[in-house]
Amino acid sequence: MSFKRNVVSILALLVVAAVSTALAGEKNTPPTQKIPKGAKVFVAPIEGGYDTYLKDAIAKKKVPVEIVASHDQADYEITGTAESQKASTAKKVILGNWHSREEASITVSNIKSAEVVWAYSVHEEASTHGKKSSAEACAKHLKEAIENQ
Amino acid sequence: MPRKLSLISQTLVALILCLAIYPLSARSSTSQENNSNQDQNQTADAGNPAPGDQTKVPVSNIKSAPTDEGQLATVNNAKIPSYAKVYVAPIPGGFENYIIAGLRNKKVPLTVVIDRTKADYEISGVSDSEKAGWAKMLFIGSQNSNEQASIKISNLKTGAVIFGYSVHKTNSARGKQSAGEACAKHIKQIVLE
Repeated sequence: MSFKRNVVSILALLVVAAVSTALAGEKNTPPTQKIPKGAKVFVAPIEGGYDTYLKDAIAKKKVPVEIVASHDQADYEITGTAESQKASTAKKVILGNWHSREEASITVSNIKSAEVVWAYSVHEEASTHGKKSSAEACAKHLKEAIENQ
Repeated sequence: MPRKLSLISQTLVALILCLAIYPLSARSSTSQENNSNQDQNQTADAGNPAPGDQTKVPVSNIKSAPTDEGQLATVNNAKIPSYAKVYVAPIPGGFENYIIAGLRNKKVPLTVVIDRTKADYEISGVSDSEKAGWAKMLFIGSQNSNEQASIKISNLKTGAVIFGYSVHKTNSARGKQSAGEACAKHIKQIVLE
């Protein structure tokens, strides 16, 4: 009788252990959101040739990453979207503003894990230097993100 | 013997009555479901409904709540576990990038992935942007755009839509960025921290 009781208690313990392990496995862990210095980054084509402005800004702001020309060589990929609207006649006449309206949003993702590690969006209602300004804003914040982690 | 016969007859009568009453009660419960906005007893992950029920289930499950910026709808108070893998499907105009940036800016504890097969949930939606015209600039003196967007989150395993949100900003100071952040802010409400 005591043997049977022991077997039942062991089985019950095993079931409890298995359930707790399964529950622990289901819990999501926070991603390791880090872009290491000197990481190889590929800038994917962005509409309006914004990727060119972004590459230039990354170089100008001395962001500690290495830009590569091929997606296969890269560890990280920058994708995004950008929109530029030149000042209309109404804006020039009524508001006396010649500057364009710039909007951009970029995403840095780890190619291996497919996780997005960093993202940023910028909006400039009257951008003095157009796309260049918004690209430099993206690069500046990317640099901050890499250096402050 | 007569007692047995009476027992059998009583049972038969009870059965017939049950059969007659059941369709009526079933019909009345269905109409109650259609009238009510939410059904707390049904689970969010009810699985794939039968083709005939497809129009019924979302109506009965979605609960709308007024917010300061737009319309929010959750299904049976469904929650997303923290750091669940979320895929943001491409949205015309590149609005998915603004949502991802908004998720990061609002510190929403979710892991965004770029591969749909690795994701547990999917965010999809539409967005529209209307630039300020000359009349708006002349009469109101505003050059801000009007932004509207609508997103939904679906569980990729069950296919159930668990969250929906739409935002409309008349004079959006930061354009799509504002709309993306509004979406992210409300997504945060259904993420378990």
